[in-house]
Amino acid sequence: MTAVYKAILNLVIAFFFVISLEGIARKITARIQRRIGPPWYQNFIDIFKALSKHPFSNGWIFDFGVLMALGGAIATAAIIPMGSTFWTPFPNTDNFFVIMYLFAVGSLGMAMGMVGSGSPWSAIGVSRALTQMLGYELPYLVVMSSVMYMYKTSSIHLLIEKQATNGWNLYVMPIGAIVAFISLIGMLGKKPFDIAVAPAEIASGPMAELSGKYMGLLQIMHAFSIFVEVGLFVDLFLGGGSLGWFLVKFIVVWVLATLISSVLPRFRIEQMLKFYWGVPLGLAFLNALFVLLGWTF
Amino acid sequence: MGEVKLFFGPNHPGMHGNFSVHMYVEGDIVKRARPLPGFLHRGFEKLMERRYWLSNLALIPRICVPEPDINEACYAMGIEKIAKLDVPERAQWIRMIVLELARMANHLSAIGGVGGPIGLYTASHWGTADRDRILDIFEALTGARVYHMYIIPGGVRKNMTPQIEEMIWKVMDYIESRLDDYENLIFKNRILHSRLKGRLVLTREQALEMGVTGVGIRATGVEYDIRKVDPYLFYDKVEFEVPTATDADAFSRVYLKFKELSQSIKIIRQALEKMPQSDKVNVPISKGSALRHVVPKGMAYAHIESARGEFGFFVVSDGKNKPYRVAVRGASYPQGLYGIEKYLPGTRIEDVALWLATMDVCAPEIDR
Repeated sequence: MTAVYKAILNLVIAFFFVISLEGIARKITARIQRRIGPPWYQNFIDIFKALSKHPFSNGWIFDFGVLMALGGAIATAAIIPMGSTFWTPFPNTDNFFVIMYLFAVGSLGMAMGMVGSGSPWSAIGVSRALTQMLGYELPYLVVMSSVMYMYKTSSIHLLIEKQATNGWNLYVMPIGAIVAFISLIGMLGKKPFDIAVAPAEIASGPMAELSGKYMGLLQIMHAFSIFVEVGLFVDLFLGGGSLGWFLVKFIVVWVLATLISSVLPRFRIEQMLKFYWGVPLGLAFLNALFVLLGWTF
Repeated sequence: MGEVKLFFGPNHPGMHGNFSVHMYVEGDIVKRARPLPGFLHRGFEKLMERRYWLSNLALIPRICVPEPDINEACYAMGIEKIAKLDVPERAQWIRMIVLELARMANHLSAIGGVGGPIGLYTASHWGTADRDRILDIFEALTGARVYHMYIIPGGVRKNMTPQIEEMIWKVMDYIESRLDDYENLIFKNRILHSRLKGRLVLTREQALEMGVTGVGIRATGVEYDIRKVDPYLFYDKVEFEVPTATDADAFSRVYLKFKELSQSIKIIRQALEKMPQSDKVNVPISKGSALRHVVPKGMAYAHIESARGEFGFFVVSDGKNKPYRVAVRGASYPQGLYGIEKYLPGTRIEDVALWLATMDVCAPEIDR
């Protein structure tokens, strides 16, 4: 029973904490852009406004895709450990591969629903998003494999425990951590990797046909995705600690990604692939080699 | 893969106005592109024939929203040529300052406008914020921020006070101090280089064939600037350079705009120094009330260098209180219509918004 309560706490934190952080990111970006910016709770206002609107459906695949996207993201967010074994809702299922597969359900639901909308902009956006997944996941998975090889486990909370004795993975394998962070920026869809939703190129891509409640639901899905992506990075590279420490590290990683994002333009799609499969992938293999040879700190 | 038709505008975040491009794409490559103006058509040229000479001043700034003063200046210069008016010297200097300020405002929003299509929104917001300081000057000088209706046939509407001169000095110092930040943020960015350098090339032959002016032709190495070729106002009495480039690509077009900013600052400073003190800043076109003004029979073409290229008004008068015919040469007409149709095919979806941004396509100039 406690597992369910913990999972619900996960979702509550994912919702309120991440959406507030998104608002704070808007504020930070605004200051860099010499604006005042909206209040930190602006994203709550946006979501509740969107949810109060009458939606326009584009067929049942579209409806189903949006729900599948939200469902996949919620299911993944519910099993992410928050910095310690105590704050792990399901200690037997917080396996890295389970999380990756569950997380893909959300992405595929989004892809299916958006293609179902029938707009060519959405189709282009989805194809870009899936291409981008191909780009960032390769170096990310190579780094993850070396992490799992080193500690001989794929359970996230066990990996956190190992870091408590062995030191943060950020220090143990700095190259891997950097590569994972670069992949994280791509996962979050921050610039220079916001190719899938490029507004001025493809009219916000997947979001082109979303209106009212659908938009609101996908914004919530986006918040849960951010929780999963950044949470996973914090768990795997920045060690464990209390819930408070987890949230502090979360804020640091998120603000760093926001700062980088606000001063860079975006890549073209083929430039993105060339980038990810160039230096980050090479570094990821180098990191794997170091781990294989035991040359870690 | 089949050809897919995509609507780029009028409802699209990458579109700069009431304009549309129908793209026929295969994959990411644009196979055919069809520009569709006409969403804004008010019939400016025809409307002018039904209004009094001075009533037209409220209409013509609408032909180009980001830089409205060039319309007033061309119209006024055309009428002055026909009526052989002697415009007071101070008014001419003030006009020069206003035109250069308008050029700077347009260039700032154009540099920011390149930030939009490539996702560097910080550039857009910086450009907009700094443009706002210039709009503050306009508000103090003319009472309006965007459409000023300040340059009138015979001079300018009001005199420039010493306080406004002081304000202009300050804003020029401020913008000059910001140029380094722009250079670091935008023009030294390697991702931006990879997006813009060598892309959307418009060669010298192509530009000359279509009649592209402004940065479009200067980026190919041709030093064509009306301020030098056919000086109007007192541009022959100030020192400035016309920056040119040879790459003819999107990057050099944006960079030229950035370089012109410092030249405009230079011109404005010289104009403020050389401007004589006087209370007389306008002369009437003819006797009587403004609505009964008549312009003698005749025709004249007045052209100036706008931020986007050669901008001209051809004014015909039959000696009555309304124009007989006014024709407008929009600066972005060639690259906005023929350029899109001819040179966009072969580029990619991402480049379409960049063509519109670096070529400064302004829809009202096409359907005026």
